Amino acid sequence: MKFLLRLLPVLAFGLSPALAEQYNNLYWAPPNVTVGGEEIDKILNFIFWLTLLVFIATQAVYITYLVKYRRRPGVKAHYSHGNNKLEIIWTTIPVLIFLGLAIYSNRVWKELFRNPPPDALQVNISSYQFGWDFRYPGADGKLGEVEVKGITAENKFGVKADDPAAADDFTATELVFPAGKPVHIILNARDVIHSFYVPSFRLYQDAVPGRTISWVWFEVKEPINLELACSQLCGKGHYNMKAPIRVLSQEDYDKWFDGKVKAAAQARAMDDEKSLHAAAN
Amino acid sequence: MSAITAEPPASTGQAHHPEVGFFHKYIWTYDHKMIGIQYLWTALFFLLVGGGLALLVRYQLAWPNTPVPLIGQFLPATVASDGAIIPGGYNMLVTMHATLMVFFVVMPLLIGTFGNFLIPLQIGAGDMAFPLLNELSYWLYVVSGFLILAAFFAPGGAPGTGWTAYAPLSAEAKYNGTQMGQSLWGIAIFVNGLSSIAGATNYITTVVNMRAPGMTMFRMPLTVWSLFITAILLVLAVPVLSAAAAMLFCDLNMGTSFFKPAGGGQPLLWQHLFWFFGHPEVYILILPAMGLVSEIIAVFARKPIFGYKAMVYAMIAIGFLGFIVWGHHMFVSGMNLTLSATFSVSTMFIAVPSAIKTFNWMGTVWRGSIEFTTAMCFALAFVTMFVIGGLSGIFMASTPVDLFVHHTYFIVAHFHYVIFGGSILAIFGALYFWFPKMFGCMLNETLGKVHFFLTFIFFNLAFFPMHNLGLGGMMRRIADPTVYEHLRQLQPLNQISTIGAMGLGFTTFIFLGNIIITLWNRKSHPAPDNPWHANTLEWTVPSPPGHGNFPVTPTVYHGPYEYSVPGLDKDYLPQTEPAPAHVKLEAH
Ligand code: HEM
Ligand SMILES: [Cu+2]
Ligand SMILES: [Cu+2]
Repeated sequence: MKFLLRLLPVLAFGLSPALAEQYNNLYWAPPNVTVGGEEIDKILNFIFWLTLLVFIATQAVYITYLVKYRRRPGVKAHYSHGNNKLEIIWTTIPVLIFLGLAIYSNRVWKELFRNPPPDALQVNISSYQFGWDFRYPGADGKLGEVEVKGITAENKFGVKADDPAAADDFTATELVFPAGKPVHIILNARDVIHSFYVPSFRLYQDAVPGRTISWVWFEVKEPINLELACSQLCGKGHYNMKAPIRVLSQEDYDKWFDGKVKAAAQARAMDDEKSLHAAAN
Repeated sequence: MSAITAEPPASTGQAHHPEVGFFHKYIWTYDHKMIGIQYLWTALFFLLVGGGLALLVRYQLAWPNTPVPLIGQFLPATVASDGAIIPGGYNMLVTMHATLMVFFVVMPLLIGTFGNFLIPLQIGAGDMAFPLLNELSYWLYVVSGFLILAAFFAPGGAPGTGWTAYAPLSAEAKYNGTQMGQSLWGIAIFVNGLSSIAGATNYITTVVNMRAPGMTMFRMPLTVWSLFITAILLVLAVPVLSAAAAMLFCDLNMGTSFFKPAGGGQPLLWQHLFWFFGHPEVYILILPAMGLVSEIIAVFARKPIFGYKAMVYAMIAIGFLGFIVWGHHMFVSGMNLTLSATFSVSTMFIAVPSAIKTFNWMGTVWRGSIEFTTAMCFALAFVTMFVIGGLSGIFMASTPVDLFVHHTYFIVAHFHYVIFGGSILAIFGALYFWFPKMFGCMLNETLGKVHFFLTFIFFNLAFFPMHNLGLGGMMRRIADPTVYEHLRQLQPLNQISTIGAMGLGFTTFIFLGNIIITLWNRKSHPAPDNPWHANTLEWTVPSPPGHGNFPVTPTVYHGPYEYSVPGLDKDYLPQTEPAPAHVKLEAH
């Protein structure tokens, strides 16, 4: 029975990695695609090996004790209330390790959230029950400013009406951007909390109604197709609140962009015509 | 030694108690032991309900949108259609599962059952300080239980906003579609909170005022210490949740806007209030378990607790630090990023006392004489599972890693390792250990071992793969992972996990069977007063103890962990027996 006791953890913990090998990946994690993402993988790996080491070391000692000091006739337990020196040692060591980890983590955290580069492509993302709207700067390369209080059923993005930069902005129902270029997202929610989550980006950020989150940016290295997921329980349709992400080569992106700009200009022209008609009638 | 010395308790007056009728014995009783047992049966009932909900959740995740075998067609229309779980219903199942397990199973078992049963017995008191308040606390719990179950029958169905009930989803009927269910949730949490506060006040008063002569603070068993610290956390944390629940109720029904941005409210205020309660709450769910486990390990290793005072200080440190780490649930909530960095540091430090406790448990089994009873197996497994849960906590405490794993199944794995692998295993162990004292008969050890091994295997099968699911990018609380292309390849893991969960469900019936069989022929395996040769006061009185507990107020001569003292014939020394003159007890 004691043998079983020892065998069980091995079985349980051997299982997942063994299955994961099929996928050539210890964690089953999707490969990282962003520039800063390796830093997160690095710290994840570091903590993984550190904690694995701690786990194996403590369990080896623990299980050895359990086997070695199992009850045997005539053998009495050792009488001891403890040892203050040991207490100090095993308090100090974890303190130092955790202090180190906290410093390491915070350094990476600061790096991840440094200010977005000025040439970043700005995209305004507005989330709602249960979907996503995206707004891009038009030919002027400038995104019209967002005013949270201005979000209404008509003005889904809460665009400031008098901002000239907003005039040529266009919208989309997918997140499209070029590889190799920083993308700075301006994140809003129109009703409840949603969240922008892309595991391949190693990125999660809540979108909170009443706030504009403007500190998230990323740069994807290669063209790829992914899915944007909402990861904050937001109601009945939450599980299916997704949008395509298409990371294109610069060339393909330019094509997509030109098409969008033209379509938007046409739509505006039609709108103007309609209102002219309306005024004439 | 502590400066606080105990007053002798008021007369315990065992002598003349008239026989009480059924109603006053089992329904409306002032006896802390019976109240503990009331909590036990009620919480085990909720364990079955909550476990059933979990199995439905797991079934849906493994085999989405296929009719649930056997019970599918009996599910209400808000939860399933044609026997298959619908997305809105899935949200209700997850929400109700977590709410029941936290507030109606683990808290009542640890605090209601063991707190009530053990505190007076282990400190040498005849009862709690306020017996009426004690019984009131139990019935408030029952009322809150009816309220929460009623939510299933409310128009629109049960709440589906998660046990964390994030606003504004939870605060506006037009977003959640379950105004009545969510309101009932708020009221149930409020009433449940009253029950907790009443119980906690009672525990604190009892521990401070009613210890037997000689029972100084540092002679109290670690179980009592853990429950005492937990009670302090409860009175500090629960009122915050109660206030938040009341505000939520007003937002839902009375047009206020505490959490609604449209009316000038702050969604993040809910999160701050909830987690200011929520983080101490998770330690409320583990501290008593640590206390129970410490007791069991010392008894079956036949050794004094290694570093008794270090254990006490570690629990105090956990209690204190527990109030300054709540922001680690909100690293990426839209809160200020520098705050996240600060909370990350305090969170790292809260792992230190947990590490200290682990080392001290290992020190306790070192050079012991370990007997692998069922209770001991559960207690020993607790330590390992708690280590895994604590270590996964470190991943999430690191802000950059949390950016990746926040709100994924990795978190689900983490808290099940600490709450199931930790608290529930401790509860099982403690039930095997104290059952004889509660009911006067011994649970079957063979069935107990089967229960233990199957629980251990199925638990790890169910929950270990969740780490990988989370790292694979699977979000919590999604009704159907297969709608995402990148999650489809993870389906085998979901199926393994569900098989483990079904095994756990099955195993629970072995445990219940053991209880039923044992109680059925309780005469055939009667419990002696002190079946485990333990030192604490409850083992000096009959099993089960009579009304008033102690025929004569006991006097305590030393700490609770004097096992294997050299120079003694027996390997234990009850707290009521002074050490013979030739024997020297080590200071601790
Ligand atoms: C060893 C120290 C521990 C550390 C460092 C730690 C750390 C954390 C962190 C950082 C989170 C938030 C993760 C996220 O949402 O992204 C978390 C969540 C959680 N922890 Fe721990 N934890 C520890 C011990 C415990 C214990 C002892 C319990 C309970 C018995 C517990 C129960 C929970 C629960 C229930 C959640 C999830 C709450 C929710 O979002 O629903 N943790 N933990
Ligand atoms: Cu959403
Ligand atoms: Cu926490």
